[in-house]
Amino acid sequence: MATREVFESRWQAAALLLPTVLVSVVFLYVPAVRAFELSLFEVGFGTGEVDFVGLENYRTLLTSPEYHLSVLLTVLFAVAVVVGVMSFSLLVSFLVHEVEVGKGLYLVSAIWPYALPPAVAGFVFFFLLHPSLGVLTRAIEPPYPTLGLLERPFEALGVDVDVTGPLEAVGPDVDWFSSGPQAFALVTVVAIWKQVGYNVIFMTASMNNIPGSLTETARLDGVGRLGRLFRIYVPIMSPTLAFLAIMNTIYAFFGTFAFIDVMTDGGPAGATNILIFDLYRDALQNFEFGTASAKSVVLFVVVGVLMYVQFRVTEEYAYYGG
Amino acid sequence: MTLLETIVDAPNRAAEYLRGGRAGDRFARLREDGLAVHAALASLVLLLLFPVLVAIVVSTKESGIVTGLADLVPGGNAYDNYYRALVELEFYRYMLNSLVMASVIVVGKLAVSLLAVLAVVYYRVPYKDFVFLFILFTLLLPVPVRFVPLYRLVTGLGWNNTVFAITVPYLASATTVFVLRQHFLSIPPSLVENAKLDGVGPLEFLWRVLIPMSKGILVGVSVIIFVYAWNQYLWPLVIVGDDLQVAQVGLGRLRGQAQAGEVAWALTMTGSVLTLLPPLVLLVLFRKPLLETFSIQRK
Repeated sequence: MATREVFESRWQAAALLLPTVLVSVVFLYVPAVRAFELSLFEVGFGTGEVDFVGLENYRTLLTSPEYHLSVLLTVLFAVAVVVGVMSFSLLVSFLVHEVEVGKGLYLVSAIWPYALPPAVAGFVFFFLLHPSLGVLTRAIEPPYPTLGLLERPFEALGVDVDVTGPLEAVGPDVDWFSSGPQAFALVTVVAIWKQVGYNVIFMTASMNNIPGSLTETARLDGVGRLGRLFRIYVPIMSPTLAFLAIMNTIYAFFGTFAFIDVMTDGGPAGATNILIFDLYRDALQNFEFGTASAKSVVLFVVVGVLMYVQFRVTEEYAYYGG
Repeated sequence: MTLLETIVDAPNRAAEYLRGGRAGDRFARLREDGLAVHAALASLVLLLLFPVLVAIVVSTKESGIVTGLADLVPGGNAYDNYYRALVELEFYRYMLNSLVMASVIVVGKLAVSLLAVLAVVYYRVPYKDFVFLFILFTLLLPVPVRFVPLYRLVTGLGWNNTVFAITVPYLASATTVFVLRQHFLSIPPSLVENAKLDGVGPLEFLWRVLIPMSKGILVGVSVIIFVYAWNQYLWPLVIVGDDLQVAQVGLGRLRGQAQAGEVAWALTMTGSVLTLLPPLVLLVLFRKPLLETFSIQRK
């Protein structure tokens, strides 16, 4: 039987593996284990002295309302990002799949945010939606331009009514510097925007693997566009969709620090203080190394569970030939 | 037509479409797809592009104040803004730092991973699969999971504020090892058997046979690593000072330095466009190998 494994020197193999293994051990495994260890200590500020406190740091987390809020926010944020980015990307990928003219250009213009640096996304939206200067702020907030369409009928009747007055009272007041929900929504929108490219890449690839005959049959049977998308394509694409759901969740937990740092700094009043930002603040602003490490361990459990789920899901689909 | 062909071929086919026939024919082809579908798609894509288009426009204006959509006409200040940001406010330094960091990580990661994969695929040694799993498991350990100890380790080594701090911890790569392994496993075994019969050693085989045969994948992986490295934010922010700071973090400082009133926004958008440019150019130029590589990663 043909085999690739033609070389046998153990020393050579070890030498080839050494750089990767060394970096993995020194900068990945050991710090991770140390994080677990540190989470059992209280680390003195400045002195670096450590006191064993057992599970005290975890107890602090369990009883801290701020941390509970942070966990809740992060879960909400992750759900909103995953649902938002996947619905938007599915729609874009499906429409691209449906057209013949301009397919490539549409795809390139949908995929590019993959390259978008998060801080750039943050600054651009900071500018677009700045509470007093933003271009979009003016479009969203009243007074809206009525072009006289509302006033003219009244004027024609000779009635003097101020119709724009009441209009100014309705409509949102963009103020995410002080409104928690608005800040949260803003950060979510930016996080979704940046992640669309990655999702469209995988969704389009997956849609292209669907046999054309299936689409044809559905058409002949009179299945409408949306029916085709949700009853045929989505089930076939489910392995890819599951993979993306996990990748997007990991992104929401770990890849969104820059948005918060650039736009909201965790505020207002902790409304955008997601776990990774909370961890950073604890470690490098409060110098609570012990508690911060306990938070690292919590995050490790999160990635661990997500990866495990992904592994199981992939395995299942592979097994049943999905 | 695959995703790949569609994207790679886009400019040619767009040109062909524009050349082909009278305006009426073109419209007929659009109609065949459904005008509503095109309208919907165009607006969705525009929605994605709009923020960056605004940033580009603002980067050409004298003041960053845009009070309405009517102000979104490019100004004549592009040269001044880019010159001021890059040279006077020294944003070029941050760009260079990012470029050095990303390039070192690309080259280092590729080199280190190629060696490891050579051992994983072409050697018959015990515990090989265990080592492969050991490398894959690093996926479970993103920076936040080991934040404090990593910070203490790197400062303890005296590496804070050196280029080592923002490159060496990134050199081990589970995804690169995984993708390269998948690719090497698709190369026929007879190749290495013949090489061995000819007395070709493993490193020579890697250099003279494997690497030349894998150009597409290597370019694709390089682009993925570059984008990943260029977009790192948290770790450089905490571990290096202003001298070595990267472009993304530099943006915040650019805003601070330019804080003289209204000018700040025009210059911040100028910096944003500059920071977006390198990864975007790579994505557009190397879209073909990039997408090929993604299709392996998913397997």
